[in-house]
Amino acid sequence: MNKRSARLTRALAATAILAVGVALSGCSSSGAGAASDRPAGVIHVAIYGDTANKVEQQIADTFNKTSKIKVVLDKIPGANYQQKLQTIISTKSAPDVFFNWGGGSIAQFVNAGLLLPLDGFIAQDPKLKSSFLPSVFNSASMGGHDYGIPMRGTQPVMLFSNKQVLAKYNITPPTTWDELLADVTTLKAAGITPIALGGADQWPTLMWYEYVYDRVAGPQLFDKALAGDKSQWTSDASMTALKDIKQLIDAGAFGTNFDSVKFTDGGSPKLLRTGKAAFELMGSWNYSTQQAADPAFAAKDLGYSAFPSIAGGAGNQTDLAGNTNNFYSVIKATRYPNTVRDFLKLMYSDEFVKAQLAIGNLPTTTNTVNFLSTAASPDYATFQYNLVKDANSFQLSWDQAYPQTASTAMHTAVEGYFAGRLDAAGFAAAMQALPIK
Amino acid sequence: MKARPNYAAGVGAVIWLAIIAIPLYVMLQATFETQAGYGKTGALGIPNTFTFENYVNAFSVGFGHYFVNTVIVTVSVVAIVVVLVPPLSYAVVRNQNRATSLVFRLFLLGLAIPAQAVIVPIFYLISLAGLYDNLIGVILPTAAFALPICTLILSGSMRDITPELYEAMAVDGASPARAFFRLAIPLSKGGLSTIIVFSALQAWNGFLFPLILTQSDSNRVITLGLFNFQTQYGVNIPGLLAAVVMSMVPVLLVYLFARRSLVQGLMGVGGK
Amino acid sequence: MTTLAQGKRTSRRPGGPSVGRPGFAWAVPATVFFGLFAIVPLVFVAILSFTSWNGLGTPQFNGVDNWVALAKDPVMIQSLGITVVLVVLGIVTQTPLSILLGVWAAGHQKNRAVLSAICFVPLLLSSAAISVLWRALIDPNFGIPGELPWLFGNGNLLGSQAGAIGVLTFVGGWQFIPFHTLIYQGAARAIPPVLYQAAQIDGAGTVRSFFNVTIPQLRNSMITSLVLMLVGGLTAFDTVLILTAGGPGTASTNTAYYMYQKAFLGFDFGTASAIALVLAVVATTISLVVVRATGYDKMRSTQEGL
Repeated sequence: MNKRSARLTRALAATAILAVGVALSGCSSSGAGAASDRPAGVIHVAIYGDTANKVEQQIADTFNKTSKIKVVLDKIPGANYQQKLQTIISTKSAPDVFFNWGGGSIAQFVNAGLLLPLDGFIAQDPKLKSSFLPSVFNSASMGGHDYGIPMRGTQPVMLFSNKQVLAKYNITPPTTWDELLADVTTLKAAGITPIALGGADQWPTLMWYEYVYDRVAGPQLFDKALAGDKSQWTSDASMTALKDIKQLIDAGAFGTNFDSVKFTDGGSPKLLRTGKAAFELMGSWNYSTQQAADPAFAAKDLGYSAFPSIAGGAGNQTDLAGNTNNFYSVIKATRYPNTVRDFLKLMYSDEFVKAQLAIGNLPTTTNTVNFLSTAASPDYATFQYNLVKDANSFQLSWDQAYPQTASTAMHTAVEGYFAGRLDAAGFAAAMQALPIK
Repeated sequence: MKARPNYAAGVGAVIWLAIIAIPLYVMLQATFETQAGYGKTGALGIPNTFTFENYVNAFSVGFGHYFVNTVIVTVSVVAIVVVLVPPLSYAVVRNQNRATSLVFRLFLLGLAIPAQAVIVPIFYLISLAGLYDNLIGVILPTAAFALPICTLILSGSMRDITPELYEAMAVDGASPARAFFRLAIPLSKGGLSTIIVFSALQAWNGFLFPLILTQSDSNRVITLGLFNFQTQYGVNIPGLLAAVVMSMVPVLLVYLFARRSLVQGLMGVGGK
Repeated sequence: MTTLAQGKRTSRRPGGPSVGRPGFAWAVPATVFFGLFAIVPLVFVAILSFTSWNGLGTPQFNGVDNWVALAKDPVMIQSLGITVVLVVLGIVTQTPLSILLGVWAAGHQKNRAVLSAICFVPLLLSSAAISVLWRALIDPNFGIPGELPWLFGNGNLLGSQAGAIGVLTFVGGWQFIPFHTLIYQGAARAIPPVLYQAAQIDGAGTVRSFFNVTIPQLRNSMITSLVLMLVGGLTAFDTVLILTAGGPGTASTNTAYYMYQKAFLGFDFGTASAIALVLAVVATTISLVVVRATGYDKMRSTQEGL
């Protein structure tokens, strides 16, 4: 008996060692392998799986009508997009082209040498760069090279409001911080939550930091901090910004239970829609969210305006924050770079722009302006387009500008300062501790 | 069992029923609302719209070949479990030497491996085997991760067959194989149907393995189809829940059908 | 082959304890299969725990760096405490309820079948469904807390550690009590009626026969259920991910969720592997201790004691 079991143990151990060895060598074959290893006759495009990908499908179908090499869309369930992408991107199952958010979402792929700089494509077709608004295009540029072509639309963050509530209390959308504070006082006295906040999602809270820091210190503070100058977080400007945020929280602007409210499950948009809250700082997608839930409200009573200015601050009032755009990036190992280039050209085509506008997205191409009147909501599209076009700077959301590895700690710090668990020094220290590479 | 009904327990059970049923009611009710209707009333409101639109949508996005793929995965996983677990449990229960008790501990360890922790190595294994984006590549690890709990349950069931029965068969000259097919299997039917139901549930609701190990639309399973109801920043709640309810119905039918055996099988887990 | 040979050999000792026992070969197919898809990856995870790897390129060996960092990581240390609290709360709330419900459901009352069928539906729901459902239900303004302000105040359940842990415990119970009820229902049905009759003759009421007859007879089921709760509780992170995302701050980050965070939000597979290994070893050790201490691994039926 014992002999047999010893033999078996040895056999099992041998199998295990063999398999692990093979698996490890599988990992270490870095890069996606040679182009000839990749599937023939197709390019795979990994795309965020959600309701909006019907446009991507339409564009792929258009492309496939005339191309011998076909585009295959691989739709990855949205919530798990990054997990799946990270698992496959350095293997031979990697897509040729993949959807991303620019900035930190592709930085580590660039560092690992997996991505194709698009400079060659742009040299062959300059319109691949000149057709897009520069403030947007540059979020996917790193170390002097361009790694992404914008697709889908831009998503600036704006101050949304419920017009009926504002009218009832004689309030106009605030243009200065002091006006905002005054509005908060009025609304709070009336028993209304002044500002809806989906604090349980954490990223909506971050939007307040992005704007207040910009208005107080200008975009430079964050840019320098991201470039490695950690002293920015303890600078006077940083402390002023934190004090302003604190002032707003202490004034009761967000009510008492924002820690348990989410945007993603419809909690905070509903507060705004039902008039239990007057304002919400949110990305431009809030319009479609409200429209799906109550078309009449979105059309009639949903107000939107730029973030107010802060007196004495260094930031420009036209500065924006948010998701500059979604991008397509290309894997270095792709077998058919020319096909990929031709596919990417469709991202500034009239067909693409019209199809995106029709589902409520706002592309950032130079020809967008020709089709604004065909948008799902022309007024809203025009307002947003001008906001982005005139922006002095367009700050990519902090959690997307920093590497992925920083996001959990950043969200914890952002939420901790709002909840009062961290003081200003604690917040600054937490931001300084974030990895920047 | 008991001579008189236990009223206190009955009242407690009814309270528990309410705790279970209210969320389920909320779910069902939401599936018959339009998204706009749901947006107005919310989770607990009284429905002000009634529509089958969500079910029609769910059918159009998730129930063509997704359904067929899910059935293939589920049936194969159950088949593997049914072939592998009974001989293993038989050995664990009847051959109590060191090697088998080591195996039993190995499976206890297996109970404690979170699939998320090993998904990346599994991806490399499956890729090496050339099974990436192939339903077989989903079936194998799903079945492997169903083994520990199934082994625990079936061993419990087989343990309750009295040793005297085996000895009687052995005296008649029966081989272990004969004892297995004539005695162990027939007397642990309850446990067998339990592991069938559990492995089927795991395969049917499996998300992680199909997510990481498949890619093309032709190999998609129902759970991956649910993302059609979300956007980057929100969810179409009625649509998603309708799809969930639809994907649940086949399992519910199997469950109701197998419930009696399930309870019998679990009796084995507890020693009797 | 081995099987047959062994079968013959043992049968030469008639009346011996191993009459007609199956050989180890019977266990081999399942063990090899399981080893390949679960144990081999686990060995790989063990190796990864000594490397630094973000999923791209080659893992770099970094010795015990991950382990040293973890031992000093305040969030990791805190998460162990939170894990213990969640597991203990899970066991003390779920066990009595499951026993009571299981015993009740094993009876012969009218409508019992329908009621118990409904009670078991949560077993069938995937985590996607449970997430959407419960997120809507615990919204402070439009969910249950909004309807019952006298009970929930401003409904800020996820704003405090106690609230977050309470929510996790409650939803965990909702999700898992049906399963454990099933275990107890089966076992309770198998209790020989003669034991209750004997207790009645001795003058025991419902309560006394529950404690003197039912509970001792459920001993093995309790051990099974306990092992499953322990192991399940130690390694579960779905509910945390879905409901609290470990918050507020890190106040409800249990160790399993911390592993998930490290692996799939931070892509630090080295550290995540070390955490996974800690969890697997701790969970297995505890379940082995339980199994040994109770003599459960002796594989003897409760019936034998009768």
